Amino acid sequence: MANVKYVSATRVFAKDTPPALDALDLDIHDGEFMVLVGPSGSGKTTALRVLAGLEPMDSGRVEIGDHDVTEVPPKDRDIAMVFQNYALYPQKTVAENMGFALKMHGVPREERDRRVREAARLLELDDQLLSRKPRQLSGGQRQRVAMGRAIVREPKVFLMDEPLSNLDAKLRVQTRSQIAELQRRLGITTVYVTHDQVEAMTMGNRVAVLSDGKLQQCDTPRQLYDNPVNQFVAGFIGSPAMNLRTAPLTDGGVSVAGKVLQLAVPIRNAAATAGLSELVIGMRPEHLHLAEGAGELTGQVVLIEELGADALLHVRLPEGGIPIVARAEGRQPPTPGREVSLHIRPEDVFAFHPETGARLAG
Amino acid sequence: MAVLDGVAAPARAARIRPRGASLRERWLRRLPLLPALIYVIVVTQAPFVVTVWYSFQNYFWSIPKPARFTGLSNYSTVFTDPAFRGSLLRSVIMTASAVIIAMILGVLLAVLLDRKFFGRGVARTLIITPFLVMPAAAALIWAHPMLDANYGLVNYLLAPFGVNHVAWLSAQPLLSVIAVMIWQWTPFMTLIVLAGLQSQPPDTLEAARVDGASAFDTFRELTIPHLRPYIELGILLGSIYLVNTFDAVRLMTNGGPGTATTNLPFFLYQKVDYAYDIGGAAAAGVVTVVLTIIVATFALRMFARVFRFEEARG
Amino acid sequence: MTAISLRARSGAVVRTRRRGTRQWAGRVGWTVLGWVVAIAFFLPVLWMIITAFKPEAAAETWPPQFTFSPTWSEFSSAFATIGPFLTHSAVATVGSTILVLLLAIPAAYALSVYPVRRWRDGLFFFISTKMLPIVAAIGPLYVIALRTHLLDTIWLLIILYTAMNLPLAIWMIRSFMLEVPNELLEAARLDGAGRIREMGSVILPVVLPGVVSTGLICVIFAWNELFLAINLTTTNASTVPMFLVGGISTEGLFIAHLSAAATIASVPVIVVGWIAQRSLVRGLAMGAIK
Repeated sequence: MANVKYVSATRVFAKDTPPALDALDLDIHDGEFMVLVGPSGSGKTTALRVLAGLEPMDSGRVEIGDHDVTEVPPKDRDIAMVFQNYALYPQKTVAENMGFALKMHGVPREERDRRVREAARLLELDDQLLSRKPRQLSGGQRQRVAMGRAIVREPKVFLMDEPLSNLDAKLRVQTRSQIAELQRRLGITTVYVTHDQVEAMTMGNRVAVLSDGKLQQCDTPRQLYDNPVNQFVAGFIGSPAMNLRTAPLTDGGVSVAGKVLQLAVPIRNAAATAGLSELVIGMRPEHLHLAEGAGELTGQVVLIEELGADALLHVRLPEGGIPIVARAEGRQPPTPGREVSLHIRPEDVFAFHPETGARLAG
Repeated sequence: MAVLDGVAAPARAARIRPRGASLRERWLRRLPLLPALIYVIVVTQAPFVVTVWYSFQNYFWSIPKPARFTGLSNYSTVFTDPAFRGSLLRSVIMTASAVIIAMILGVLLAVLLDRKFFGRGVARTLIITPFLVMPAAAALIWAHPMLDANYGLVNYLLAPFGVNHVAWLSAQPLLSVIAVMIWQWTPFMTLIVLAGLQSQPPDTLEAARVDGASAFDTFRELTIPHLRPYIELGILLGSIYLVNTFDAVRLMTNGGPGTATTNLPFFLYQKVDYAYDIGGAAAAGVVTVVLTIIVATFALRMFARVFRFEEARG
Repeated sequence: MTAISLRARSGAVVRTRRRGTRQWAGRVGWTVLGWVVAIAFFLPVLWMIITAFKPEAAAETWPPQFTFSPTWSEFSSAFATIGPFLTHSAVATVGSTILVLLLAIPAAYALSVYPVRRWRDGLFFFISTKMLPIVAAIGPLYVIALRTHLLDTIWLLIILYTAMNLPLAIWMIRSFMLEVPNELLEAARLDGAGRIREMGSVILPVVLPGVVSTGLICVIFAWNELFLAINLTTTNASTVPMFLVGGISTEGLFIAHLSAAATIASVPVIVVGWIAQRSLVRGLAMGAIK
């Protein structure tokens, strides 16, 4: 049980290339479930591996429980890791797999067996599976054995590297909640890496969004959703994604397809102070409502995605470009080809600096 | 009627067997195999059949008389001949020691070549060279420029250790021949084991690091079990070739001094080329084949894993 | 709630240098060991080549000489007589290897792509022929060769070397063929490829590196073969190994001459092996394991 701290952690793979991890500063509280999320190449896996000690750091340091572990080898950091492809030892039985770390640390046989059986019970692994080899197990069972191997250690920190990515969709959803619940029960600090923002939002106490090796924002899921700090986070978090469009500034707001989209006063002031002539505006699909006639955005429906309870409308504006996605009631969605009018309240519109991507007046 | 149908139908359905490939299809599939199969049968089995026939004949190449049926007398000669038994024993000793030592060295060298170091590629090239050298050339080079009592390099290199002009081929003939066998076959073992090392999934090795295993632990607990099929294959293939060692024996010691290094191939060679005893050689050959089959059956049962025949697809 | 990253440069250089030194020292250690072992294994070959350039007087000395004035004389005297042997070896080697590949590729195809019901037995049969020592049949082989007028002919060697290498070739090529993904074959079948076309245009290009390495191994074994050559040929088909055995007298001064002959005999295969090293390693190890 311990907190984890990244202090200016940097990792460069080859000379003269941009850093895979660029001066990461992150504080993870004791017992917290922290999710590192981002697209591939964002540095999230590197951050995890640096914490594990599997990759050396080029500058900065990493602390576990307030001890600087930067130079400490993986086996002495008191961590356990679940690998993306499980990395189970192929020639060993499930029980031997789970007990391996304990054996390496000199734990006597009876206690090893006891802890392995306890972990197996916790993960609902049958006794008869304990004597099988990994190749005889299904994907879901292997995943649980990988988790069991980590749990048995009772480490200070759990590290998980996209453990659900090899499971089919249904199993993934099931296992997601199981992992979250398990972590709550055990209370062990967990650092979890994923590229799937839905996983991040549903599982994490806090989520750290990374891009190009840099930390973009670290916050609770709700805060990330409601108050993204820049365009990247706004576009990455939330499904379906936020609609982002570049639009020139005009009186009272921005001009979109000939009409004026009103913006809140603080945004207009920030834009004026920064001397901008155009902005990137962001609109969440659920903030765009069908307005009979008098909406700010009018266009043609090109596609309807029925989700059952509601529907996603893809509306193409007259000026062209990517259709705007709006959420509508599922009962009576408009038919494709129809002209619709969408309304959004000015206070629901996000605005970002066209060059830096930073949020204006957040 | 309806009831009877209902009863009859399931039974009929159960008796329907899945349609396999047609007869023509099956023969077409076998066709590409036939040329090789026929070739091997003719070229290897035909001489063997003739060998068996001759084993029951009294036939000496040097005597102008034609072959004469002589029942089992050749076989009784073989079984009572101490030279045959001796050559059998020596074959076992030479093959076993060469295979085992070559494999041990092979594992060590593979571990070495698996590490990154400067000029590793060139080092590997040099290490595999002994396998490429013509065995006859290797035997002659070791016999003379290397092991010669008066001019040999080996004596020169070992002189600081108190070795004084040893006549290796006469003083330690078996050791000398086995040394050459090991020298030539260690690279083979090394390459097979190296392939095994390089096929280890790297994330299991990382998992072991995180789990607290030292380098030695990882090697013992993970790498050696992973290498087992590779080691078994190396031993099997190596034995097949090493048991037939002829060049080194003929060219280094000519089987001697006396019969100190006479193994089975050399023994048979002497029977044919010096005693001109076709019948006797044939009988000894048949006995050798039978023994080989017995040993091979044992070995294959132990090494069943080596023949990891994957299910052919189709 | 947001994180502001400030780049800290000062720590970077020191850290890398400290870590680098430890890594570097380890590497040096392995390098020394690796090179000592490599030279130890290569030494006899090196010695053979060095001795080949010595004049005879310099080859039989104590202590062995490492500096001397090199000469081509032993090479030229060896080359003077080795000609026909080289030709015979080349023909026998290339001929048997081509025949091996022609027979092995279809056989491997049959044993890998389409299930022949007793394919396991078939493969085992091929391997078993290698386990029976050829020496057992050498007497009767001689008699058969004599009666069929094949004694002392290149054809006999080609026939026998093919039989010698065929089992290994089938095993190796089959393993390479097993690696061809099923989808590739199914796509070809959908596109209308008949069996032969399927094999030729789809499988063969994919397994070509494997076929090449198999061929190389057959070349090595055929070129180096002594036992059959020495028993079944005399003058018309004698191969390079026989040149070494018969052509070198061990009377008087001969070590340099021997080394020159041995070098000529071994160099072709060594060079081929070096060039195709990667392919060879893959074939030997990967092809045989599956």
